[in-house]
Amino acid sequence: MADFSSALALSASGMAAQAQRLRQVSENIANADTPGYHRKTASFREVAAATQQGGQVALGPVILDQRALTRIYEPGHPLADEGGYYDGSNVDLVVEIADAREAQRSYEANLRMFDQARQMSSALLELLRR
Amino acid sequence: MFENLAILQIAQAMASHAALRQNAISQNIANADTPGYAARDVAPFAESYRDATGGAMQASRARHLRGGGGRHAAVSLRSETGTMSPNGNSVSLENEMVQAADVKRQHDLALAIYKTSLGLLRSSLGRR
Repeated sequence: MADFSSALALSASGMAAQAQRLRQVSENIANADTPGYHRKTASFREVAAATQQGGQVALGPVILDQRALTRIYEPGHPLADEGGYYDGSNVDLVVEIADAREAQRSYEANLRMFDQARQMSSALLELLRR
Repeated sequence: MFENLAILQIAQAMASHAALRQNAISQNIANADTPGYAARDVAPFAESYRDATGGAMQASRARHLRGGGGRHAAVSLRSETGTMSPNGNSVSLENEMVQAADVKRQHDLALAIYKTSLGLLRSSLGRR
């Protein structure tokens, strides 16, 4: 039973990390038109739990993507310089959608493992019936 | 009296092996996006059971020497490393799903054997 509770905790940590990643993706998409916005990237790392052989996952500190910002030509914009350009964000919507899809896929895999561990432990408890 | 029945012991060892393996797979899937993570697995049940019981020796009396008998299986790095993604992660979600289905089947099998053996015992005692 200890293995099952540890497996449940592992899957839960995976789901939490993927959900946080999805949150960062939506922050990026929401700020796609914010001038001067650098997109946030999620970095996963393995954390060792005190009890088991470790392996839970967590998101590391937020890293800002340091690619160059897009230059947008709009002379009437309040932030525009003498040439009529201002700094947009470096969010690429295609990349963000792909990232969101990947996060969703990993989340579902974790959820499936969670459900399977739960099914297995409840099948074990069924032995006590009768 | 009944706790030494070999079939119950085997079924128990098989179920706990499946649980350990489920743990390893959950860990792999949780870390499917962790850079530099190497996939882990547990040695197959046939191997670990042979190692734990020391071959074909059976201990049917309390004074017989037991060949280990304990659970030797442990989570270790997966031997066959598949393709590695650019960030050094060797987990393949599809592969893990197949393993997970296998683990579920193994666990169901162990529980079915356990239940059936208990049913046999019950009917030999004259109960239903």
